Amino acid sequence: MILEVKDIHKSFGEKEVLHGINFQVESGKALGLLGRNGAGKTTTIRILMDVFHANSGELLLDGKRFIPGKHRIGYLPEERGLYPKRTVMDQMIFLGTLRGMSSREARQSAERWLKRLEVDEYAPRKLETLSKGNQQKVQLASTLVHNPEIVILDEPFSGLDPVNSQILKEVINELIAEDRLVIFSSHQMSYVEEFCDHIAIIDKGEVTLAGELKEIKREYGRNRLVLAAEDTSPAELRERAEQVLNGVAMVSGEKKEFLILELVEGKNRRQVLERLAGSDISVGRFGSYEPSLNDIFVEKVGEENEKDL
Amino acid sequence: MRKFGIVLKYELKEYFSSKGFMIITILIALAGSVLLFLPRFVDLSGFTGVQVVGKDEQTGEELTGQEQTGSEEKELYLYLDESSILQADVLTAMFPDVKWQAAASRAELSEAVQTKTAEAGFVIKGPTEYEYYVYNKSMSDSNPYIFEEAMRICYRAAYSAAQGWKLDEIEAMYNVPITGTEQVLNKDTSENFWYCYVLVIIVFMLIVMYGQMIAVAVTNEKSNRAIEVLVTSTTSNSLLFGKVIAGAIGGLFQAGLVLGAILLSYQVNQEYWGGQLDMFLHVPASVLVTFAVFGLGGYLFYAFLYGAMGALVSKTEDVSKSSSGLMVIVMAVYFFSLVQLNNVEGPIIKVLSFLPVSSYSTMFARIAMGTVAPWEMLLSFVILVASIFGAGVLGAKIYRMGTLRYGNPIKLGTALKELRKEK
Repeated sequence: MILEVKDIHKSFGEKEVLHGINFQVESGKALGLLGRNGAGKTTTIRILMDVFHANSGELLLDGKRFIPGKHRIGYLPEERGLYPKRTVMDQMIFLGTLRGMSSREARQSAERWLKRLEVDEYAPRKLETLSKGNQQKVQLASTLVHNPEIVILDEPFSGLDPVNSQILKEVINELIAEDRLVIFSSHQMSYVEEFCDHIAIIDKGEVTLAGELKEIKREYGRNRLVLAAEDTSPAELRERAEQVLNGVAMVSGEKKEFLILELVEGKNRRQVLERLAGSDISVGRFGSYEPSLNDIFVEKVGEENEKDL
Repeated sequence: MRKFGIVLKYELKEYFSSKGFMIITILIALAGSVLLFLPRFVDLSGFTGVQVVGKDEQTGEELTGQEQTGSEEKELYLYLDESSILQADVLTAMFPDVKWQAAASRAELSEAVQTKTAEAGFVIKGPTEYEYYVYNKSMSDSNPYIFEEAMRICYRAAYSAAQGWKLDEIEAMYNVPITGTEQVLNKDTSENFWYCYVLVIIVFMLIVMYGQMIAVAVTNEKSNRAIEVLVTSTTSNSLLFGKVIAGAIGGLFQAGLVLGAILLSYQVNQEYWGGQLDMFLHVPASVLVTFAVFGLGGYLFYAFLYGAMGALVSKTEDVSKSSSGLMVIVMAVYFFSLVQLNNVEGPIIKVLSFLPVSSYSTMFARIAMGTVAPWEMLLSFVILVASIFGAGVLGAKIYRMGTLRYGNPIKLGTALKELRKEK
């Protein structure tokens, strides 16, 4: 199963908020939608779920028009909420039957998911009597109660403590292992990095970067090197390195423990190493640079956005 | 349809599993019944004119009889006749519940009233002049008017005697009895008026009460953020129709149980009430059926619109503001209906009886109290049913459009414009 989002445009009134969103994801894989607040992640997800209608563009599932109502989709919206005055089990059965299950199947599945998420003891209780974290887990259970083939989670980790985040991570891994198609948005890069085979970074209503995470990382690491000196901090090393490596590599970034160098076009790492060997820099660390998703995100979306994360 | 059924079942459970809803319904029904059974056990003859006088020895059933008032303790009134015109038997006849006693002087009469030894007192100063003494005069005090009539009778008797006329003959001429019978060929408005009045009030209350409840329930789904999960799980038609029909069933159950208990209890105790409540509670079955059909129709029509109004806001405190326009229409129809009940054959009520906003009460009133051709009933009913579906579909569209529109309330005009644009 391959879900394709093609050139989606969306306006609210006179303001266009999505300017041609493109990405694709397949079963057994997870796509991470990244972007700062207001970038267009949730609007994209809502268009996928038919909550909003796109002004133009296509949603395709295996090459055919994607109609959410015709598929089993588990959707955890960013705006969470169920019925606070009803019991947990009642509303899980309600949502399960509404999505095509019989009452019996819905009850059995609800029991299984509540147990899996360690909130089964709350089944007969009203939702409002549960803690925020447990309400969040009930919401996730209700998202998965009908055994969905496509799972869309909008900021699933927000509001969860580390223990509950760990449970959720395990569940998401299970969903991926069960060959389901998973899309989730998050601000937390480490989670995205952990699960997602593909990412799409959305900034100001546009996909600024999309593709396989490994490939993106490789691409970002190519022509980049790490340099650290013994007994010298990266800040102190920076000026000297720029002088020594002039014409071969530039300092493109500075981390707590090392500098990031970018090769000048046509130059290679051997030439950099030769320059360093002939200098007074006492090299402590030298090698290929493997950027984290956070680095890629910050570079792509900008310094200003880094503060938002 | 299946999803509508699921939503309906879920919403119904909300009503019927609510202890408050069930307890209040049962308590009101019980209270109504208990009240109507009262004359069996408590002497309400002052109101009903019927007294329980004993039990049938063979059947054990209680027997009823007309009220006996002769043995009751009477109030004391004093009089001082300075013109010697008053006749004691006239006073006794005009004031059957009063014990009359002559006073020796004005001072004695005044003091007796002052100290409440006597309830009231009259000083007859001349054949056509008197003074009335009372400690606290109530708004409904009719003693002066009755006393004036008694003085007129005494004056006429004295004057006739002085002229040598036979007063009996003159009175017989004036008060000759006329015998007449009525043949009402269709409906007696005076008989049907009061229960129509009560039923119009009941349906008005149901519309306002349940309409607000539905609007608040819709707004709650927005404010507790459940709406996004719901609209991605089923259609807005299923959601709104399920919610409104569940509200209708809840309302019908509540009104039906209370009204049924009251009507049945009155039926059982009718003879103990001496027919005093017939004008409210002796409702013919045909009127009840008409009421149920048009009342339910009107209720559904407004319930869908209330649901739509609830979707325009995201905070429950804004619901009353959002539905105020609808409330004005409901109130206007209510007052028009009540005013027009006196004139069910008039042109205004005829027009109102075809409009879906008002046919629930006006067509019902026309059928109950006037003459309505079958085609008129059918036309009004068809318009009402079509309008219910129209309101339902429009309500569902507004409900869907209002999804995720948080913040300031959306104006109805803006919502309609956006819907037209989307189309």
